[in-house]
Amino acid sequence: MSYLLQLLVSGLVVGSIYALAALGFVLIYKSSRVINFAHGQFIAVGAFLVYALVVYLGANVGLALAAALALTAGLGFLVEKLFLRPLVGQPIISVIMVTIGLASLIDGLVHLTPLGGGNFSLPRFLPEGGIAFLGVSVSYPQVLAVVLTLVFLLAFGWFFQRSTLGAAMRAVADDQMAAMSLGVSVEHVFALAWAAAGITAAAAGFIVGTISGINLQGLVAIGLKVFPVVILGGLDSIPGAVVGGVIIGVLENLATGYLDPLIPGGGTGEVFPFLVLLLVLWFKPHGLFGTEEIERV
Amino acid sequence: MRRIATLLALLFGMALAQEVHLMWSGAITGPTSDAGKYYAQGIEDYCKYANQEGLTGGLRIVCETRDDQYNNANTQRNFEQALERGDPAFLGYSTGGTLQLKPLIQEVGMTFIPASYHIGNIDPPNSDYLFLPIASYSEQVIALLEYIAKQEPGAKVALAVHPSPFGRAPVPDAKKAAAQLGIQIVEVQEMTKGLDYTATLKRFANEGVEYIVYQNVAGPVATMVKDAKRLGLTIKHAGAHYAGGPDLLRLAGDAAEGFIWVTSYYMPDEDVPAAAFVRKLGKRFKRPADTLESVHYPSGMLAAAIAIEAIKRAHAAGKPVTGDPGRAAVYQQMLGLDFDPGLAVGPVTYSKEDHVGVDKLRVLQARGGRFVPITKPFQSKLFRKVHYGK
Repeated sequence: MSYLLQLLVSGLVVGSIYALAALGFVLIYKSSRVINFAHGQFIAVGAFLVYALVVYLGANVGLALAAALALTAGLGFLVEKLFLRPLVGQPIISVIMVTIGLASLIDGLVHLTPLGGGNFSLPRFLPEGGIAFLGVSVSYPQVLAVVLTLVFLLAFGWFFQRSTLGAAMRAVADDQMAAMSLGVSVEHVFALAWAAAGITAAAAGFIVGTISGINLQGLVAIGLKVFPVVILGGLDSIPGAVVGGVIIGVLENLATGYLDPLIPGGGTGEVFPFLVLLLVLWFKPHGLFGTEEIERV
Repeated sequence: MRRIATLLALLFGMALAQEVHLMWSGAITGPTSDAGKYYAQGIEDYCKYANQEGLTGGLRIVCETRDDQYNNANTQRNFEQALERGDPAFLGYSTGGTLQLKPLIQEVGMTFIPASYHIGNIDPPNSDYLFLPIASYSEQVIALLEYIAKQEPGAKVALAVHPSPFGRAPVPDAKKAAAQLGIQIVEVQEMTKGLDYTATLKRFANEGVEYIVYQNVAGPVATMVKDAKRLGLTIKHAGAHYAGGPDLLRLAGDAAEGFIWVTSYYMPDEDVPAAAFVRKLGKRFKRPADTLESVHYPSGMLAAAIAIEAIKRAHAAGKPVTGDPGRAAVYQQMLGLDFDPGLAVGPVTYSKEDHVGVDKLRVLQARGGRFVPITKPFQSKLFRKVHYGK
């Protein structure tokens, strides 16, 4: 029983990291319908910024994280202004190509720094060990991952429901033309969405870096994990990102725990979530919580 | 005045020296660039050193390191360009790229020295021109199993391998060797880079696994050993060349304590001439601390040293060292190469039948934040028996 419980809890933890990583992706898609293929690179930049601030400048981890969140938000804002804004109204394929190009550009820029091709880890800032209950063990970095995800979800929940800017973002997501006619600056909303995505990406990068070390490829790979998560949850749904992340995380763990011994070589944790994804999309093509867009002609 | 004259003579000599190009194609960016970056630096620095110190037999070796981003198509394009230019040998990198190029390498007869120690590189067919710098992954893993069998006869072992030809390479030989050593291989688990390996580790623990032997890269191994420590498991961890080393220490910290690792290279902090030489070269070419700490830096040096030695000997024998005849001449030298560049725990010896350079390995263990040798250099007793049946 404790085995199953451990798998579920570990899946929940991993899923919450996926959800945090997916949040920024959804924010951008929700407001501007742009699929950001450079999201993994944003996650990596966030992690590298925290590392550089802590190791090279001797900053406190909390302070470094706050600075990294702000800097990555600035990066998102800048990217939108420089690369995405000129493409408003252009074919979606152009926008996709720009984000792919952006991924290569950021990769290249990171490789020009001493951090590009190496393996690094943040100096320990949490106590060793973790929390144990009912035969289940969770490390402190994993606890931090869950807490940070919850904090960001609550913060974004409040922001979208209660703040004027959040309401403006929801309005743009629902109908850009109607929002513009009511005086909402769509350009401003787009830039804000990219900045918010930068913040969540940096938080995800920090968490991944704390748990499994800082390596460009490893961090970018988390950005790719976001795709099944958001497709399952719904590309434009914030609760969908959370539910999708948790489902993928739990399925990975259950498959590894119970199916791997039955398959030579194992590795079912990598495949099984996609099988479930296919099954879900069969019945819900827009994902579990995605908006169904019905076009009448 | 004399200095100026010497300098002028040197420059004049260099201008007259025949240039021979030597290309390396590997991952300076992209997957595994955490190893490739330092490997490339090792090649560049050894090449400069050999030219500066006159170790090239009057030739000027122009080493060119190209980033193929771990992409086989890029590797092939680079190989074809080197071939077209008349390079006499080629330094490769990945398992996939090397295995894919085997038929072409055989067809054109170009000496090829990869950074991948996959035994399939030098197994027939199409393996005449491939030369491993050190013992294969299969031999490394069997050496670990031999060590484990000595420590804990009848131990239960799980193999945790990368989901690729690189990871799977030693599995068949390891299974055969385990059977002969009385070790039980409980499970072979393929593992990618993940955020949590609790499920795998708990399963291993339930199956009574005592050792996990990794044929993987340092990233996933680090997360695995950290998770094992968190779960309070007493399973011991051991790994082949690319699974351990300073990268693992950097990523896993204290959790790597006790990790058993096998390699043919010296550690950068060891008090031996090889390590001092690597440090000297790193300082001479102003490499940062992380380069000096990396085991991939001397690995690149060794690959360059092997190729340069063969080219030098071909030239000394009065043979051409470029184009079709150059490839043939360098290959002939490779077949009889026997020298010690002092970069690994044994000499480099090749013959028509033996395409492994450094045959010796050492087992090391992470103790107090560094890897220390716990065996003398040795050769696996079982590897040849299980792989070649002799």
